[in-house]
Formats: sequence, C-alpha cells, structure tokens
Amino acid sequence: MAEPIVKYNKVTKYFDDLQVLDEIDFEIQPGEKVALIGPSGSGKTTFARLLMMLEEITDGTIEVEGEYLWHEKDDKGNLKPASSEHQRKVRSNIGMVFQHFHLFPHMTVLQNIIEAPVTVQGRDKKEATKAGKDMLDKVGLLDKADAYPAQLSGGQKQRVAIARALVMQPKVLIFDEPTSALDPELVGEVLEVIKSIADEGEASMLLITHEMDFAKEVADRIAFFDGGKIVEDGPPSDILYNPQSERLKDFLERFMNTQ
Amino acid sequence: MVWDWSYAFDILPEIASALSVTISATVVGFILALVLGLIWTLLIRSTNKIVHHVANGIVRFIRNTPLLVQLYFIFYVFPSIGIALDPFTAGVIGLGVHYSTYLSEVFRSGIESVGPGQWEVATALNFTKRKTWTRIILPQAIPPVIPVIGNYFITMFKETPLLSAITLVEILQTAQNIGASTFRYTEPLTIVGVLFLVLSYPASLLIRRLELKIAERY
Amino acid sequence: MTFWEIIVSMLGQGLFTTIVTTILAAILALVLGFAGGLMRLSNNRFVRFIVAIYVEVFRGTSLLVQLFWIYFVLPMFGITMSALTAAVLAIGLNYGAYTSEVVRSGIQSVDKGQTEASIALNFTPAQRMRRIIIPQAFIIMLPNLGNQLIELFKSTSLVALITLTDLTYQANVLNASTLQTTEIYTALLVLYFLIAWPLTKGIQILERKLTEGRM
Repeated sequence: MAEPIVKYNKVTKYFDDLQVLDEIDFEIQPGEKVALIGPSGSGKTTFARLLMMLEEITDGTIEVEGEYLWHEKDDKGNLKPASSEHQRKVRSNIGMVFQHFHLFPHMTVLQNIIEAPVTVQGRDKKEATKAGKDMLDKVGLLDKADAYPAQLSGGQKQRVAIARALVMQPKVLIFDEPTSALDPELVGEVLEVIKSIADEGEASMLLITHEMDFAKEVADRIAFFDGGKIVEDGPPSDILYNPQSERLKDFLERFMNTQ
Repeated sequence: MVWDWSYAFDILPEIASALSVTISATVVGFILALVLGLIWTLLIRSTNKIVHHVANGIVRFIRNTPLLVQLYFIFYVFPSIGIALDPFTAGVIGLGVHYSTYLSEVFRSGIESVGPGQWEVATALNFTKRKTWTRIILPQAIPPVIPVIGNYFITMFKETPLLSAITLVEILQTAQNIGASTFRYTEPLTIVGVLFLVLSYPASLLIRRLELKIAERY
Repeated sequence: MTFWEIIVSMLGQGLFTTIVTTILAAILALVLGFAGGLMRLSNNRFVRFIVAIYVEVFRGTSLLVQLFWIYFVLPMFGITMSALTAAVLAIGLNYGAYTSEVVRSGIQSVDKGQTEASIALNFTPAQRMRRIIIPQAFIIMLPNLGNQLIELFKSTSLVALITLTDLTYQANVLNASTLQTTEIYTALLVLYFLIAWPLTKGIQILERKLTEGRM
C-alpha cells in the first residue's frame, strides 16, 4: 500500500476538562474518500477541525505527506511545537468547506475565489482569474461571477465555497456537514457537485455527513465515531449493512427511523 | 522642581471643595436632560406633523452645534432678551439641554425595541393611551437602556469643566485661579485630571457590571 | 454690522483654523484608534495593558483638562508647542481613545467563521486582518466613526480657550469689539450647524453606498 497522505497518531483533544477525542489512530490514503458519521458530540467535527488547524491539539501528532502538522523536529530530532511558517507550509495541502459557507460578504463571487490564490499563493492574477472562472463553470455558477454572496441562495453559496476551496488545489479536502444548513430542496445540487468532484478528483476527501445514501455512494470507507473514539471503520457496505457493534446498530436504527 | 508634593497637598482641599459645584451641576443638568429628553422623544413621536418636524429640527440643531457655543449663547445672549442667569443656572441649562438631545435618542431606541405586539395587547386589554405608556411601554423600554443613560451621566460629569468658560468656579476654574496666583499650573491641573479619573473610572466599571446584569434579565 | 457681514467676517481665519484642527485631529484619532484597537486584541498581555491605560486615562479625564494640561503643564517639563499642535494632540489623543474601542468592538463583531475560512485558505494573520476582517469591520464601525467625527468637530470649539483663533475665538473677539452679542453667537451656532449637518448626512449616504446589495 502507498504511504498514507494523512496520519493521526494517538490524537487526543480536551476542551477544558471535557475529553472529546481519545487517542485516535487514523489514516487516509492518497485519493481516498472517507465519510465520517456518528451522533452529534461524538467528536467527528473536532477530528476534522484539528486537521485544518482550527482547534489546538492536546496530545498526539498528525502527519500530512510525512510531515508533522502541529510539530516539527528540532536539531536533536525531538518534537517541538511547529512555527507558524511550518504550520502554513503543511496546512497548504488541506482545504475545507464549512457548514455555514463563510463566504467573504464584501467580495464578489469571483473575488472570493481568486483572493487566496493571489494573496496567499502569489499566483498571477490573470491565471488565477481564469482558474477561478473554470472552477465556477464546474460548479455551474459562471453567470454569478460578479454577484455578491448576499444575492445567492444557500445552495449557490455552498457551491461557490466549494469552488473557492478547490482552486487552491488541496490534496485533502474536508467537508464539514456541507448540506446541513441548507433548505431541503437545495441539498441535491450541492451533493451533485461534491459527487462530481469525488468522481474525477485526485484529492482525498474527509466528508462529515448525515446523508447516509450519499456517503454510501461517494465514500470508499466510512468511519463511525462515538464518544471520542472511532468505533467501526470499513467499506460502506460493511458499516451500513453489517454493523458489528451495538452502538453503530443503535445509531443506524435511530437514523433510519427519523428519515 | 517640576512637581512639589507639599504644594500639591496644600491646594488639594481647595480644589476638592469645588467638587461640590461640579457634582451638583452634573446632577441638576442630568435631571434636566432626562426630563427634557423624554419630552423630545414624545414630541418627535407625535402624529402631528408640525410638532414632529419642529421638535426634530430643534433636536438636530442642538446636536450639531458645540456645547461651548451654546453655553456662550445662554450666558451672553439671554440677558439681551431680559433673562439674566447666574453662571451655575446658565451652565446647568446648557448642559441639560445639550444632553437631552442625546438622551432623547436613547429613549427612542429603547421604545422602538419594544415589539408592536405590546401595543396591540394594551389595546386589546383596553388600556388608555396614558396607561399604555406608563404601565406597559416605558417599564420595558427604560431598563435595557439604563447603562447607556448611566454612561451619559459620566460624560456630562466630564463636560462640566466647560462651565468654567462662563465663569462658573468649578474644579477646573478653581485650579486655574490657584495657578494664576502662584504661577504653578502643574500641580493644580494634574490634580483636576486625577480627580476626574478616580471618580469616573470606578463609575464606568460599575456601569459595565450593571450592563452585564441587565443583559442577563432582558 | 449686519448679520451677513458678521457671518462673512468669520469665514476667514476662524473657519480655516476650525477645519484644519478638525482634519488633523481626526487623522491622528483614526491612526491612534486603529493602532490601539488592534493592540487591544493582541495576544501580548503587556501590549493590551499599555493600551488599556491609555484608553482609560484619556476617557476618564476631561478633554478640556487634557487640553490645558498639554498646553500649560507640558512646557514646565520643557515641552513647548504651538496652540494648534496642542489642540490637535489633545483632541486626537482623546478621540483616539474612544475610536480604539469602536475599532476593537467592530473587529470583534465580524463573524468568527470569517477567521476560520481565512485559516482554511492559509492566509497569514496579517493578510487575514487586512484583506478579510478589517474591510468588513470598517463597515460595521462606520456609523460610530461618523458620530465621533461630528463630536470631534464640535469639540474643536474648545481650542478657543487656549487662544487658538478658531471660529469660536473669532466670535469672542468680534463680540468684545462690536458688542452685537445676539447676532454674533447666533451666527456662530448657524455656522457650526451648516458644517456638521451636511457632514452627518454625507456619512449616512456613504454608509448606504457601501452596504448596498452586499451585506
């Protein structure tokens, strides 16, 4: 098997006295699409946010492409907290799509997309504009390039947010409940875009979702979180149709009943 | 020597005694501002177009001109129409009228924050207009804006030195008189600054705490 | 003198000084306000403490006392300056303290998601502030900054008390020589209003323009 692109080693996270992640080991292979499911408060969102560096890690390490994300080695080979330069270098491999989109309200759709390529990556503005328009075309919103976020529907906002993340060419793309904030009739268009990216994309995906059918369709693997641990981890068919643990059985049953 | 402690302690009682003038000007001015502020608010809300526009225009004019010039106007121009005022009265009127326009804005925002449902309920329960105001609307509109009103009290306190410009002997004027007679301004002016700080800073902390308390309730 | 002659006679030096004092003090207040507001959000406790002292001292004492202190007391320490410099310094420092609070709360009221999105797109903290947070915070701050500008403008009348020849000072001089008290102070009030009122309206229009269709 190839080297994993993301590797969690005994990752632990506390919020004050509350433990939300308990010594988790986890790997993502290059190009692999992994869905994270589990009840709310099970730790799956925190798990992903640690990879994006939106929360401080309490204990353990995370490696991306063989480099430590939160740490770097000093002269003697011991781990020390990473400098901000090191963090930014390793973090440049990761992208994220948020539940509430977080588009920049003071910029047009196109500006939203090309802001980071130009400012952060130092790409040529013309090239970035072209790449941005291609990406908008891909998510079907080229005609909205000059609109402001406030003028878009929720589904359109999320498609722009996806384009904004993609244009940075991340090797790992995190989706944090990308359709949970949407009106039901707008969920489909967003899932369709994500699916088409998954189908053609080289990038690995970490997909936090409550859409079981969608997870089954897109993911190579599903990990079930409960109580700060990964309780089961395997191919969608095993996880959804042949759950081993009581907790996963309970979760799936409750889930099917509320659907 | 730049700073003389014994001189500072010598003049401290004299300056501090003038605090009574400063504080009474603040308190009387504040009461005037509260009453007049509420009157402006009610007049501006009037359904009579003329009353509304006139009140609005007066408030706008007062807010967009300096307090110092208003004080000059009251103190120097009023006597020519037969109203000669002593510096304290003129100062309190100036301070009160000026800040009434700010408090009127505060009252307005408080009243607008009471939902339309409350007016409808009052009508449904057959309250008179007067009772609706005194029993339903104002008791809800005022408490949330009390911290803002309190902050204006502190602001007015800090504006009282302007009253020295119309010859009121409050603490700044007292300090200047001392300075003029001894040719030492460092100690008296510094003492005035410190007095303002030690009185207004704890007061503003108190209001911040009040703000948190009120935020819990509303 | 007729009412119009009085107004015209004030339009020269006095009006010029009032406007120059307003502009210079406003620039100083804005610079101090932004620097102070950003430093108030620093991770460094010492930096935060220093700014807190500045803010509390200048908000806690009276502007007129600060003006007198800078103009009459600083020379005792060997620091002499012109009345205009003292005026700009006192008003700028005073309003800078208030502005720093406006800036701080404006920045804090920008949605936290904007910071998260900027981290996810790998902005440096400085890029994030400059490109994402401050442009949004500025629009939130604008009404408060506008009010402060009006207050600052009105407060320039205090400089007459350190003998700077602004509008108010000129009115006092004119009053002493002509004794047309009623006309002079009425004209003075009208002049201040004629500057402050359009300024208020202008800021409201700017605010509407900046938020149109975007927020």
